[in-house]
Amino acid sequence: MIIRESMTIMEKLEILSDAAKYDVACTSSGMDRRGDQTGIGNSIQAGICHSFAGDGRCISLLKILYTNECVFDCKYCINRASNDVVRASFTPEEVCRLTIEFYRRNYIEGLFLSSGVKESPDVTMEELCRTVELLRNKYHFQGYIHLKAIPGASPELIEKAGYLADRMSVNLELPTADGLKRLAPHKSRRTILKPMKQIQLRREENKEELALYRQAPRFVPAGQSTQMIIGAAGESDYEIVSVAESLYQNFSLKRVFYSAFVAVNQDKDLPMLPSGPPLLREHRLYQADWLLRFYGFQASELLSEKHPNFNLLLDPKCDWAVNHLEFFPVEINTADYYELLRVPGIGDKSAKRIVGARRTHSLDFEDLKKIGVVLKRALYFITCRGRMMYHTKLEEDYIIRNILDPREKLPGTDSRVTYRQLSLFDDELYRKDVIA
Amino acid sequence: MNGEKTVLICENSMEGIFTAVYDGWLDGTGNHEVEVRTCMPDNLELFCTYRAIETDQVKAGKVMRTILMKLGTEIYEYICYAAVSLHPDRGTAIYRVLRKALGHGRCNTRVMEALADPDVCLVAKLRTKVWHEFHRYLGFVRFYEVGGGVLFSRIRPENDILAMLGPHFSNRFPNENWMIYDEGRETVLLHPKRGECSLRSGVTLSEEYRETLSNTEEYEELWRCFCKSITIQERTNGMLQQQFLPLKFRKNMTEFT
Repeated sequence: MIIRESMTIMEKLEILSDAAKYDVACTSSGMDRRGDQTGIGNSIQAGICHSFAGDGRCISLLKILYTNECVFDCKYCINRASNDVVRASFTPEEVCRLTIEFYRRNYIEGLFLSSGVKESPDVTMEELCRTVELLRNKYHFQGYIHLKAIPGASPELIEKAGYLADRMSVNLELPTADGLKRLAPHKSRRTILKPMKQIQLRREENKEELALYRQAPRFVPAGQSTQMIIGAAGESDYEIVSVAESLYQNFSLKRVFYSAFVAVNQDKDLPMLPSGPPLLREHRLYQADWLLRFYGFQASELLSEKHPNFNLLLDPKCDWAVNHLEFFPVEINTADYYELLRVPGIGDKSAKRIVGARRTHSLDFEDLKKIGVVLKRALYFITCRGRMMYHTKLEEDYIIRNILDPREKLPGTDSRVTYRQLSLFDDELYRKDVIA
Repeated sequence: MNGEKTVLICENSMEGIFTAVYDGWLDGTGNHEVEVRTCMPDNLELFCTYRAIETDQVKAGKVMRTILMKLGTEIYEYICYAAVSLHPDRGTAIYRVLRKALGHGRCNTRVMEALADPDVCLVAKLRTKVWHEFHRYLGFVRFYEVGGGVLFSRIRPENDILAMLGPHFSNRFPNENWMIYDEGRETVLLHPKRGECSLRSGVTLSEEYRETLSNTEEYEELWRCFCKSITIQERTNGMLQQQFLPLKFRKNMTEFT
């Protein structure tokens, strides 16, 4: 291990933000708190993005590790004990100064503090708590704080941290227990799920306390989240989505984040990714995640044992729709909100607007366009006043062919063309199983 | 007279439009068509009366209060956001939406739901556009320390959103002296320590001041370093970055200068 004494704050920031960049949870949402005018900061429900990095991800929190020294040896992690990288640690005072100075220039929305495991989980968690305590009590910082719970830390420390932070997260890392055992030998399902359960139960108790005393201290008010690495241990999309679903149901998580595996280490247990991280797969998982949370879908509807991976060419909702044509067409002027939500091209906002707008007017395709429905995708599945937009067929092959057409030709223009080149590999094209 | 049109010419501001709504309210009864414009049109029309409206804070305040009391905060917000946009038809659309909601003694709190109506649709669109820009600026405003603990920021928004930034930032930085300068409109929003926000228009920056701004300090360097090291090289995607953070915002942002 390389430990250099006397590093400048610039060097430390470079090392420790670089080490934190693979953590994907960088949201500042879920908490409305007005400043009490004694210190600095407030927090708004929707969250605020302050900048965007060169990879297109939002920068809203000062995302750093407290230290990148680590006794754990997780194979996918750049900071694993067996790697020969430069190690650095902040002091609590340094973290606070950076946060406050960045915050008052409006660079950031708050602090995201994670850490490598220095000596033991308890020692590390204590340091994190001390830092956040200093920031809240000495600097009177009322902005957003996202704190990582270190797996294996004692319940008392988690509890203490929960009263200081807005959001906490414990990383699930890998969706299967087997994968975790193979790639993260020092972590186990038990040590990860235990703090998660603790936070969930404590939050529920806290809700009752708050109902009784409005001024009671709030425990993890913005909820907890977690993240999974995608494509490191060869699990299927079905497994991942099912795990996410059970996390939302059994642990009442606010968010599950997916992080496409980036090969930073060479290891016999890790996959080679010659074509870069599986970004499209990550995108499909996020789309499915939204379907689970806001569209009333269930994991078993989207995927099954027989059909374990998402179609990379079609988004999950379209994929579901073309496989469930018995549900369509949906009449815009009479269908209820939940039926509208299932139509590709209609999101939750459009569905709400449609339900509101049809109180006063009967809607036509022109109106839908103005409301914000993506007709390019929706037109195959909807009728307005009993009519479809063009002369289209409700047929799986026909719809897929037209939706996937790169020129996005509207079907009205060549509705008579019903033939196509026979291909022996069609099925492979549409049902390509992803081997990441 | 049936079929004749009245065009109300008002000042290019939210108060101006609300005064026009107040003064022109009775013109809108029956079949009479009313338009509200913020500048004289290039071509004058026949059979059309033009009336200049003088901005009156009291009248504007009455309209605002009525909207707030009768239609609620949500619709009030919609109308205000639409009023500070740049669209030439915004005054007319706001006037008509308000007549639809409040005319003939009505009190229709669901007026903004009727999106198939072109006026409602325009107001809703403008509201989304302005809100989006406002929300972006909540994050993209960058303060520079200009000595004596004063924080200074320059922005160039399309819509007149400067005044709206006041409540957010004064709640966030109550114990700082800060100001936000709108370069395009030459207006500045001032906030003294533990004080109230105030707007001052007709302010230009002196050369000296511009020079002080170009000095870089330690935390600016740290921030640039952070933005660079937080990027995952394997995922580089400039188009995505530009989609979320268009180039027009970057001129005054620390990490891009």
